[in-house]
Amino acid sequence: MITIRLIILIVLGLGAIWFGWRVFMTSSMVRSAFSLLANMAILGMMFLVMRAEFLAVLQIMMMATEMSIMAIFMMMYMMDPGGMGDMDMSHQKKTSIALALLAGVAVILIVGFSQWDAIAENVPTTAQQNYDLGMELMKRSMMIFETAGTSILVAMIAAAASALPFKNRKK
Amino acid sequence: MIELISVLIVGAILFGIGLYGALSQTNLVMIMMGVELMLGAGMLNLVALWRYLHPESYSLQVFVLVGMTVMALEAAVGFAIGTQRFRTKGSVEMEETSEMKE
Repeated sequence: MITIRLIILIVLGLGAIWFGWRVFMTSSMVRSAFSLLANMAILGMMFLVMRAEFLAVLQIMMMATEMSIMAIFMMMYMMDPGGMGDMDMSHQKKTSIALALLAGVAVILIVGFSQWDAIAENVPTTAQQNYDLGMELMKRSMMIFETAGTSILVAMIAAAASALPFKNRKK
Repeated sequence: MIELISVLIVGAILFGIGLYGALSQTNLVMIMMGVELMLGAGMLNLVALWRYLHPESYSLQVFVLVGMTVMALEAAVGFAIGTQRFRTKGSVEMEETSEMKE
């Protein structure tokens, strides 16, 4: 049955695909970063439509900051960040297209031919979801949550250590 | 059922685009963008499976949080490697890193 929610999901999905495609089709790196930001924001909106409000807000906030930082790094490191020189920064195009098509079509076939369980009509209210997610994180999934926290700490130390200049280390 | 399948197909297409980017780009930051697209597609699938199949279980939402953590870690470590590479070689073009094999 076609519902308003389905139409909104499809429109947002097409938008996400369009911006995802634009990431690799524009020669301006800043446009690439902001296309990815738009893609991630649209994914956040799709989370909202699917009633996962907490994850949606988290997604939009995290990705807005992450992609803004990515745009700054792009301008710092790229030889042609504005895309004015029309540099080609790709290789093994045919293999990449073939593998990407293969992966995409394989996943679509799996989705199409799987036997899905009955669809749930109702979801808990937002307040109940937040409470239940908090209980899940502090009880059954605490180990996973703690592992994620420790991984962030390790990555922070690893990132700082890797980014230090070699000259200073020798002193 | 149509809603679930539509969202999963959007996720599959985004995964394919991300894979294309990760394999075809020569610049480190662009490769990272491809990986982020693939992780985003995975998170979209997890939220759809939670919403339409198991809204009473929160393991899938926890997995989305883990996915977001992985995205942040990938960005932090990737930029750190990029910074070091740029300091030593003046570029983050990954085709030039083949010299590391020697």
